[in-house]
Amino acid sequence: MKRVKRFLMLVVLIAPSSLIAQESPKQQVLPDITSINVHSLGPQRISSLPPVPVPVDNPQTSMKVQLGKQLYFDTRLSKDNTVSCQTCHSPSMGWSDAGPTSTGINGQKGTRRAPPVSNAAYNPLQFWDGRAASLEDQAEGPMQNPVEMGNTLDNVVKTLNSVPGYVEEFKQVFWTTPITIDQVIKAIAAFERIVITTDSPFDRYIGGDRKALSPLEKQGMAIFNGKGHCTSCHWGPNFSDGRFHNLGAVQTGPLNVDNGRYDVTHNPKDMSAFKTPTVRDAGLRPPYMHDGSEKTLESVVDFYNKGGGDNDSNLDPLIVPLGLSKEEVKALVAFMSVALTSSNPEVAHLKPVHTSELPK
Amino acid sequence: MKKLYILILSLIALSFLMPDTIYAIPAFARKYGFTCTMCHTAYPKLNDFGQRFRDNGYQIPGQEGSEKNVLEIPPPISLRTSTGLSIYDSKQGTTSGFNVYGLDLLAAGVLHKNISFLIVYTPRIDVPAANYTGTNPSQPGSMESANIVFSNIIQDAFNLRIGRFEPAPQVFSSHRSFYIMEPYEVYSFMTPANSFVFADNQIGVEATGHFKNGFKYGVGIVNGNGGNPDNSNYKDVYLNLIQVIGKGDGQSAGQRVGLFGYYGWQPTVLPGTVVAPTGETNGGGNKPFYRLGGDVSLNWSTLNLEMLLMQGNDDKALNTLVPSTDYRYSGGFVEVDWAALMNNRLIASVLYNWVSPPSYDNGRAIKAYSLLVRHYLGDWTAFNVVLHGEYTYREIGTTNPIKDNLFTILVDFDF
Ligand code: HEC
Ligand code: HEC
Repeated sequence: MKRVKRFLMLVVLIAPSSLIAQESPKQQVLPDITSINVHSLGPQRISSLPPVPVPVDNPQTSMKVQLGKQLYFDTRLSKDNTVSCQTCHSPSMGWSDAGPTSTGINGQKGTRRAPPVSNAAYNPLQFWDGRAASLEDQAEGPMQNPVEMGNTLDNVVKTLNSVPGYVEEFKQVFWTTPITIDQVIKAIAAFERIVITTDSPFDRYIGGDRKALSPLEKQGMAIFNGKGHCTSCHWGPNFSDGRFHNLGAVQTGPLNVDNGRYDVTHNPKDMSAFKTPTVRDAGLRPPYMHDGSEKTLESVVDFYNKGGGDNDSNLDPLIVPLGLSKEEVKALVAFMSVALTSSNPEVAHLKPVHTSELPK
Repeated sequence: MKKLYILILSLIALSFLMPDTIYAIPAFARKYGFTCTMCHTAYPKLNDFGQRFRDNGYQIPGQEGSEKNVLEIPPPISLRTSTGLSIYDSKQGTTSGFNVYGLDLLAAGVLHKNISFLIVYTPRIDVPAANYTGTNPSQPGSMESANIVFSNIIQDAFNLRIGRFEPAPQVFSSHRSFYIMEPYEVYSFMTPANSFVFADNQIGVEATGHFKNGFKYGVGIVNGNGGNPDNSNYKDVYLNLIQVIGKGDGQSAGQRVGLFGYYGWQPTVLPGTVVAPTGETNGGGNKPFYRLGGDVSLNWSTLNLEMLLMQGNDDKALNTLVPSTDYRYSGGFVEVDWAALMNNRLIASVLYNWVSPPSYDNGRAIKAYSLLVRHYLGDWTAFNVVLHGEYTYREIGTTNPIKDNLFTILVDFDF
């Protein structure tokens, strides 16, 4: 009997100490999400978007936003003057493109689907694998990416400095000349921070208009937040936890395997894990997933209903078969495609800046 | 003889009316803004997601460390009760009455990354909801659960629960069953001179682990005396092994098979020579007993078939009926649950329970057939109201069995 007691003592002693031992070395590169504005604490309710978070070193001004908007639609940022941010993030396609993956200069195919720029300002980390920490960091990426805009940052700056109209505008916004790359990415990021969709039927419903959702959409919302387990990842005002999950999505496109988050953290847990995308306005931008492998919202829901993709040993524990009936699938789709589609005129129907309106 | 008969009968009737405490913890739903079906097929039965949430120490897997702790959320307290009408019918006649079927007070939450707790207190309630004056409470006051969980000590492979908790071998939780009146008979079956009841929550330490390949284990060391102070220095041990085949956790998807064993000791000399200030005594003449069983949970769409077979064996020294042999019994149940309507707003279920004691004790053999329907009135966040109807036909004994019927219709609410 003494032995039993000793065992008990041991267990009690070991437990807290190994707990501490486990916590101290943070092998993960993942920044603590608790330190990031919108995701300050834990799973949150789905709700309306709070004011957009703005970094202290890049305050919003209307002139800066205007400048960023011009840059966003300007193909001169690309190597051969054919591609702008809009090419892959078009306001008329839910701020994404026709997909399944993006096409850059010289018709080159990328390996991943273009995520929406709308509401990207709320992402704690940018890109499917979270390799950029902010919109500013992110904006450098596509300009230099050989299959996207194929340019160099030096060349972008040189080009812009050769356009007197831009030199004048940058000077008014940043008070210095010549134009620097830091100013370029700040202006683009400032524009992206106004591409926010706040006026969906869901938002009106949350705001008190009980008639904003149809009965089917309401049921869809309840399933999204219940039997479908969707809010366990698509939570909070932007319907995203900002974290990375492996759903076992079928890999299509040029790659056989996409390592996803693993390439950033080298943590085996992150193998083929991708950032949870927002589902706001998802109805406007088929196809879906990091590689555009699911054609419609119905097929996305069917995919979840089966318990995600097959043959992936790293499947996220939150993914389980759902037992959704046809009616329930329909309700979920109605919730996403109708209730979450916004009609902010300045965002959903934003008129691209025509080449003739760009600085010369 | 007749008096004894009536006494037994009324005890049986009472046991029928004593609903099980049932856990469903809207405090969690409130914390996340979820509806109940996030974690429950329909409350209180856990779905796969809820099971994994529980296994992960009441933290959403992958969100450890960013979970709000108990001080950052509305008070993590929940209440559950139900009230309705019961009609009881036996050879003697029929009774009926409105009733309040117990009350659970629950608190649960995360204290710190990978440290969480669960407390369930059931206050004493006298039949059916009187002042505290009666001698025969319909619900005894009890600290049903009070435990702290240290999770992910070695990733998913090693988690510890300390305190009073539902032991792992209760894979089909009687606390989270749809049935309110009819517990799993084999869980609550008592043997002649043994204070151990399988359905009880036990006090001790339990280690659990779950793995990507669907394997799970639970191993524990407990008093084996329910919530009472231990009556001997011998501790009980148990082991539960589960394999889930296919995706899911076997609760609402995936196919699950399990084996469990519980090995315990019961003193025959009571009280012992010492009684501690905390109530424990060192009862002597400890004799062993065990429970062994297997279980299966099969899922297809929203149909769930659950089966349990169990055998119990008490040492002959504990067999006050026929002291020359071990007391051996078997039993089990088969349950089919079906979830229908949007978001599982309707549950229908059938349940068959049986217990086969040894022939010399077959007056306590049980066969029970139950039907249940539950309709959930809403899809609300963190509370629900359920219209619940439950019927059981039961036969006790084999020759000339006592036959009785219990029909209950009630409103069950939880927030
Ligand atoms: C050739 C197509 C293409 C062009 C041009 C392009 N992008 Fe992208 N964009 C993508 C793809 C593909 C991704 C996802 C890449 C990944 O995650 O690895 C992406 C990711 C992003 C993200 C991250 C969103 C999120 O949710 O993680 C932002 C923001 C973004 N792009 C903004 C821009 C801006 C600003 C420009 C112009 C400077 C631009 N993009 C040009 C294709 C493009
Ligand atoms: C385990 C976390 C998790 C859960 C649970 C989850 N999602 Fe997702 N969702 C993701 C991730 C991660 C992706 C991107 C996966 C990829 O590209 O490989 C995604 C992608 C999507 C997309 C595609 C969006 C786009 O722009 O490509 C939709 C739509 C979606 N989810 C809806 C849902 C619905 C509906 C549910 C509930 C039935 C749900 N999700 C449950 C994490 C989750």
